[in-house]
Amino acid sequence: MSRRERQTEAAFLRGDVGVDGAATEEETRDEAEAEHAKAREQLLRGRTWLGRELLTWLLWRSEEGGALAKLEGEGVEVLFVGRLTLRGARGDVTELVARGTQAPYAAQVRRALDAGLLVHQARLRLTHGEKVYEVGLDAEFLDVRAAKLPELLSEAEDDRLAERLWLAERLSALVDALANEFLAVRAGRGWKKTVAAMKRWMQEAPAER
Amino acid sequence: MPLLAGAVTFSRLRAKLPKGAASDTKRWLLGGLRRHAFQPLVPGGEEDRATGFVELEDSEATGFTPGAVFQGEHALFAWRADAVRVPPALVKAELARWLAAFDAEHGRPPAKREKSEARAAIRQQLRNRTPPSTKVHDVSFDPKTREVLVWAASRKAIEEVAGALQEALGIELEGHVPATLAAWGGIDPDGFGPTAELVGLEVSASAAAKEATDVAA
Repeated sequence: MSRRERQTEAAFLRGDVGVDGAATEEETRDEAEAEHAKAREQLLRGRTWLGRELLTWLLWRSEEGGALAKLEGEGVEVLFVGRLTLRGARGDVTELVARGTQAPYAAQVRRALDAGLLVHQARLRLTHGEKVYEVGLDAEFLDVRAAKLPELLSEAEDDRLAERLWLAERLSALVDALANEFLAVRAGRGWKKTVAAMKRWMQEAPAER
Repeated sequence: MPLLAGAVTFSRLRAKLPKGAASDTKRWLLGGLRRHAFQPLVPGGEEDRATGFVELEDSEATGFTPGAVFQGEHALFAWRADAVRVPPALVKAELARWLAAFDAEHGRPPAKREKSEARAAIRQQLRNRTPPSTKVHDVSFDPKTREVLVWAASRKAIEEVAGALQEALGIELEGHVPATLAAWGGIDPDGFGPTAELVGLEVSASAAAKEATDVAA
């Protein structure tokens, strides 16, 4: 069997072409169109795209290290840890989940971002002064999920509840501080330059090791 | 009770208080909670779901004394939802048994109305035997900062609690979502659309604003 025949056979087995060798358009196209319509709806619903741009911007900025925002005069440092979910509304891939300790900063992730996917869910480690928090965030609602708060110092039960509540609200304020920092950049005149720098970063993804 | 221990998962909302709430916050808040306190399902009753507010540390208590609710500046309470769910497969199996017995007794299949009455009776019997499942979601509210945390993971639960809070307290709630944060910061979220270079789609600011509302609605 020649190479061409093998390719035709494989295309038939994948369902890309029918027995006559012509492309099987309708069903697969309908399915793909429905998927893209759903992905587009998810992107635009409640301006989820703004949350995705925020998380993607944070990923880009956090790679350099250093404080990304300030809360009460103290810097907020961000590190993406663990699982990262990317979503997009065009192309063949509409969702990609990256797992692994180094996954958020991996070259594969940067290439996927360059292809039009953006960060939809992520787990962040936030350092504010001596306190370290971990939090799962999603782009649509910025809800706090499965967060780890710094260790409680109080011993009495009532005091522990008050301290836990204080830390939870503190974490909420840190997320808002980062979002506000992004929004100032996003609404500013320099956003186009920032996007160009982000795209360069995505395209300069080093070769996989 | 996640507020006291365990996984830290919550949704963040900000309240717009009604007129007069600030003058006697405790009375206003406790009154609202008491008026929308949890009422348990009545055994043998027809309702399958009961919801309402309960005290944080005792999901059976609805007295809402200031000492039970206020911890410093915060009001702490919970939303309780009890539901009885009769598995449809169980109703189907019981009905099949009844159909066979009816046929054997009368020598004919039941009429449509007889079958429908039997189904309702079987469902009610099973409902009376099924214990309700209980879900409790903690809520913390600081009337000074107007920040509300709903300690739940499910969006459906968060929206139900938010709706109940708005009804009980006459407040308006907005989530800390990016578009709202922008508006709070004086940035018009309708002023820009998605960045085409990043999302790979050309959507104008006006179209994005329209679709954000249309889809949300």
